[in-house]
Amino acid sequence: MSISYKRVRAIFVKDYKEFSRNYAVSIMLIFPVILALLFRKAGSSLPEASGFLFNTSFVILTCFAQACLIAEEKERNTLRSLMLTPATAMDVLIGKSSLVFVMSAVVLAISTFIFGYVPASIWAFVPTIILSIILYTAAGTICGLFSKTLLEASLSILPVAFVFMGAPWGATFVKDYPIFKVLDYVPSSQLVHLLGISNTGYTTGDVLNPLLITLAWTVVLTIVSVVLYQRRLKDE
Amino acid sequence: MQFQPMYDDGELFLPKIEFNMTLNQSIGIITDLKRKQLLMNQLVNHSQYYLFRAGQSEYLRLTVEELITFLIKVSERDGRAALLIDYFALKEERKVKIKDLSSSKRMYVTLLRVFFAHQPTLVLEEPYFYLEEQDRHHFKRILDDLSKEKQILILTSNLEDALISCDAIYRLNESGFHPLDIRDSEEDKQEVQKQDEANITLQKISTKRNDKVILFNPPEIDFIESVEGSILVHVGGENYDCALTLTELEQRLLNFGFYRCHRSYIVNLQKVREIITWTKNSYSLRLNTDKDAVVPLSRSKLQELKTLLNI
Repeated sequence: MSISYKRVRAIFVKDYKEFSRNYAVSIMLIFPVILALLFRKAGSSLPEASGFLFNTSFVILTCFAQACLIAEEKERNTLRSLMLTPATAMDVLIGKSSLVFVMSAVVLAISTFIFGYVPASIWAFVPTIILSIILYTAAGTICGLFSKTLLEASLSILPVAFVFMGAPWGATFVKDYPIFKVLDYVPSSQLVHLLGISNTGYTTGDVLNPLLITLAWTVVLTIVSVVLYQRRLKDE
Repeated sequence: MQFQPMYDDGELFLPKIEFNMTLNQSIGIITDLKRKQLLMNQLVNHSQYYLFRAGQSEYLRLTVEELITFLIKVSERDGRAALLIDYFALKEERKVKIKDLSSSKRMYVTLLRVFFAHQPTLVLEEPYFYLEEQDRHHFKRILDDLSKEKQILILTSNLEDALISCDAIYRLNESGFHPLDIRDSEEDKQEVQKQDEANITLQKISTKRNDKVILFNPPEIDFIESVEGSILVHVGGENYDCALTLTELEQRLLNFGFYRCHRSYIVNLQKVREIITWTKNSYSLRLNTDKDAVVPLSRSKLQELKTLLNI
């Protein structure tokens, strides 16, 4: 399947304009910043604050924006119309995902700066964040594909929010329900582990584990979303 | 172009349909909602057919100019947006967001997607339904230009919409798939026998339907058309078969204010409400009946009709 830079850019620009003028969705861009401002003071006393900040931002910004972008096109039948142009399914997907990626990266960089988080290892932190953005974009794509309207899309990310944002807290129940150990392998839990590493004295394994688990999730979810996307479009 | 037959509860719902499509000749099919859906569902080949469905919406938050620019880029065309906007007659709306356009204009802008299609065949569902007169003019002009390079098929439930830009029209209903004769030809001046002035004034038109013979008083009849050689008498939105020829009917009905407005049509002048002057075959008559009925009018007959009506 061919990918054309020109078409991807056209879709990127179009989606940027649509997104920035849809205030109900684009207001999500400022929530991570507000959260960062709120937790800034409590930062030292709340070790989990940074994990909460990042995981919340991934869900309400990355995942939600992507789901809305796709669901809105479906709602207006413009996605079906796009399939009749030379633009391929990958053109559309990459155009949308790259917009969401850029927005998430910029907003998260600003929030990290405001929050004042200093990563123990920048070489593990940055790739994990990048992989996480791709991962949550893929999750958003899947949500968008299963919803027909914008309204459905905002509801369909609730399960994602519940699982991914709740997973780090699942550890509290591990004593009563041993099955909850599984939640430790959810990328959001791994991100909390990674962020919690102290500046002094960490092993390569401490850093590498979260990175590898996140990478595995990213690869799987991306493949699932692309396959689902192409299959769903055939049904249209 | 070819459609496979479809059955509904064991009955033939959609017959096998086959017709030729050429350039410069748009085809219209007049049919109902369900048959339209069945026809469109058969056009799945994305490289052959560009399908414009009536439910199509648009990127509402873009301005007209941004949308045209996007469509140019995504369909890999050459050409500048400004030139196309002039061609589309959208200069005044250039900076307006699509959601702020009037509903007719919004539909017109949405319809412009077919202009950017690369497929050789364009299929449009009800393109004129939501358009106001001025936008109909613009879109008809664009479709006429497009038909020089593409084959165009219009699916509609309304004869008037089909008349706007179709050169050949078929009707698809429970009685099958039949062409309508709407072409405007100058050489249809048949020798009409001299009408005997002292003819009997009591005339009933005998028709047949479901093996019953039904007699109509001429003033009841809206219009009479010839479809593939058989004569259909339209009364109150229903049609009935008639064994007489159009020429015979014309002579019988002349004294009742009927008029042969076209080679294949006789119309009851008492029921004519409007002369539409800008459809594809130049002129049409709209009738004042319960159901919206439109009848084609030959160019050569217009002057004669005007004298008849004292206008």
